[in-house]
Amino acid sequence: MKLYAIAINTFREAIRDRILYLILVFALIMIGAGRAISLLTVGSEEKIMKDMGLAAISLFGVATAIFVGVGLVFKEIEKRTIYVLIAKPIRRSEFILGKYLGLALVLFVNLSIMTLGFYAVLWYKGFLDVTLGKAIVLIFVELLLITAIAIFFSSFSSPFLSSLFTVTSYLIGHLSWGLPLLADKLQSGPGRALCVVLYRVLPNLEYLNIKGEVVHGVPIGGEQVLLAAGYGLLYTALVLMLAIGVFRRRDFV
Amino acid sequence: MSQGEPVLEIRNLRKSYWGHLRLRRNRVLNGLSLTVSSGEIFGLLGQNGAGKTTTIKTLLGLVFPDGGAVRLFGKKSTIVAVKERIGFLPENPYFYEYLTGREFLDYCGRLFGYSAYERQRRTSAMLERVGMASRADSQLRKYSKGMLQRIGLAQALINDPDLVILDEPMSGLDPIGRREFRDIILSLKERGKTVFFSSHILSDAEALCDRVGIVKDGALGAEGKLGELLRPTVRHWEVTYSGPEFAALGAAATLVAVRGTETLARVATEAELAALLEKVRARGGVLISVMPRRDTLEDLYLKEIST
Amino acid sequence: MTAAIEGRLHDLSASRPAGSHLLYLPSGKYLRAIAPGYRELLADVVYLWSIQYYSSYDAGDRYKYLDHVYSNVITELDPRYEDPYLIGALIMTMEAGDLEMGLRLLDKGIAANPSDWLLAFEAGFYCYDTLHDYPRAARYFERAMKVPGVHPLVARLRAEMYDRSGDRRASWKYWLEICQSGSDEYTRQVACRHVHDLKIQIDVEELQSAVNAYAAARGANPPSLEALADAGFVERVPRDSEGSAYLYNRATGKVRTVAHPLLRRSFD
Repeated sequence: MKLYAIAINTFREAIRDRILYLILVFALIMIGAGRAISLLTVGSEEKIMKDMGLAAISLFGVATAIFVGVGLVFKEIEKRTIYVLIAKPIRRSEFILGKYLGLALVLFVNLSIMTLGFYAVLWYKGFLDVTLGKAIVLIFVELLLITAIAIFFSSFSSPFLSSLFTVTSYLIGHLSWGLPLLADKLQSGPGRALCVVLYRVLPNLEYLNIKGEVVHGVPIGGEQVLLAAGYGLLYTALVLMLAIGVFRRRDFV
Repeated sequence: MSQGEPVLEIRNLRKSYWGHLRLRRNRVLNGLSLTVSSGEIFGLLGQNGAGKTTTIKTLLGLVFPDGGAVRLFGKKSTIVAVKERIGFLPENPYFYEYLTGREFLDYCGRLFGYSAYERQRRTSAMLERVGMASRADSQLRKYSKGMLQRIGLAQALINDPDLVILDEPMSGLDPIGRREFRDIILSLKERGKTVFFSSHILSDAEALCDRVGIVKDGALGAEGKLGELLRPTVRHWEVTYSGPEFAALGAAATLVAVRGTETLARVATEAELAALLEKVRARGGVLISVMPRRDTLEDLYLKEIST
Repeated sequence: MTAAIEGRLHDLSASRPAGSHLLYLPSGKYLRAIAPGYRELLADVVYLWSIQYYSSYDAGDRYKYLDHVYSNVITELDPRYEDPYLIGALIMTMEAGDLEMGLRLLDKGIAANPSDWLLAFEAGFYCYDTLHDYPRAARYFERAMKVPGVHPLVARLRAEMYDRSGDRRASWKYWLEICQSGSDEYTRQVACRHVHDLKIQIDVEELQSAVNAYAAARGANPPSLEALADAGFVERVPRDSEGSAYLYNRATGKVRTVAHPLLRRSFD
């Protein structure tokens, strides 16, 4: 299967990138630090460790998604490895999807390692709670979406701009709750219209954020997890289609 | 594919590139048309920046033309299935650094959908053919330019394509490499394949091509069979001798240069040649060389470019 | 030279009122925007910082922004984080001496965490132990009792609070519950003793007020307790917790019991 071949090749290329390991090390350090810092608290050590661990997984997962993702397509074009590939009987859409799947695989492995480290630290202290996995699943869905956005931008702009746009999308996605508030405060006009449009169009990433809930032990039903995951995956598919659309009409100068 | 059918047809190709911020427009291709028939070796020649690479990129779907049509094997070039029958080697190829040569060819094989056995068979055959069999297992980042070029050719031929497209294939090769490439290209023709390459090394084109085309101002200038474009007749002879002074000979010839005791003169006809040689011998001079000069591709090229 | 600069900077920063930089800590509503997706972690960080800050004994008006830090920042960022409510209320009541502030913070916590009995318990305990406001304490303990899985101690405190507030009937009712279904032998024993004593106190009070009502209505003390029942001033004449009758002195009109209390020296 050609998609599979491209994905595996992308995976192999991506794991060569040293920044991946740097990020992973930082993540594991932060997870461990959660243990140390929790000693400073008066009250529940468990909460601090869990908050820090989940934050580390989320933060460094997003960092990986962005920094490896924006280089993914750009490097191929810059280094011209793409020339011989396009000359082969593969569709451009297959190419982009293959690269995406390769990166998704990298993220999956990354996330798994961080989660194992996290669970190990928690287990050692007796705080292990597998329902934390629900939050991690949704973090993974969020990563898939961010990666799609990164690849979308990477198919037509430089890594610097792509990372800038992707980070901005991430922030707006998490501040989506503020847009209606902002729209209310503005007078009728382009500013207000922009807020409304952004709110409707951009995904609300807070739906995928149940870190607080799982740490506090608030029960989250399987239905909610599925719905949120579906929401994220739907947006991911949309963004990928956009990316394919842009990529298909691109000249490789 | 029977001999003589058009394998590649380009009609009225137009392409412009926009400068920074869409302020300036650079018209690269302006109505270029050419046809390549099955079993031919066609050379696309032209100055740097004339549009050779752009033309090739259009063939492969790397770049989308503003106007005109490109047909490969009678079908639109944008159809993916057409690529099964094509092989492409870009200029200055660059591949995935951390793969070995063998792994890279295997990857290319996967992109054609070959089975594991098929991939293995073809990879070995290609490595043998380009002379890389012994060095296939080191990483591509360690390859010299020549080695990269060979691997590049291997991946271009791995699917046994009917049309092979090469962009400056000989650039950066040492003389042995060039000789080997030339032999491979000629052997492709022997097997009935079609070869389309761009180059600015005229001697290669002269040695290999059936037909050439010279790109100028975004369109094709001179174009046709080499044999027809270059008149086979001798234009003049150049004679080098030492000894007697030129003026003293009184021959119907033109003095070109004097280097020490050697004189280089030019004569236009066989009769003048015979007369000059006789006069030199009569004066006790020593004949060093007699060179007939025919139209070279270089002459044609320079003439084409400068108009 | 750097030492001199450092010295000067230290003096400058010391001259500002302690904790003044907290003034610039925005409300949790806005801090949410700074840490998109990581609110709970930010709450943790601010909480940890606040513990360090409030446990170091620098001079100065350091409790000035205590309410701001706990009510507006930490608990706004993560309303379900229990520790800040507890520790914040502790600091507010014990160290800053402002009980009402502490109780307000706990109220906020109770509202945000309806399934957490500990916050209501703490609030009730402050009312009981420090404020000696027993009715208020009772209300808090009631609130805590609504949560399934509440610690049995709270049930006893609730019953006790009603007693101290003067609402013996409620207290008796709750002690009875514990007497019948308490979690262990000892608890039940204690509860049943309360029931024993309270019943007598309630009965005596009820009978006494019925006697007084009779006297007021008829102009003379009733001939007997039974007469009260016949006349309709009580439904029936109860017996005490040991099954004995209550003593009635027609001349004085006083109702007494022969039983001895289990939990105090005497009933008088």
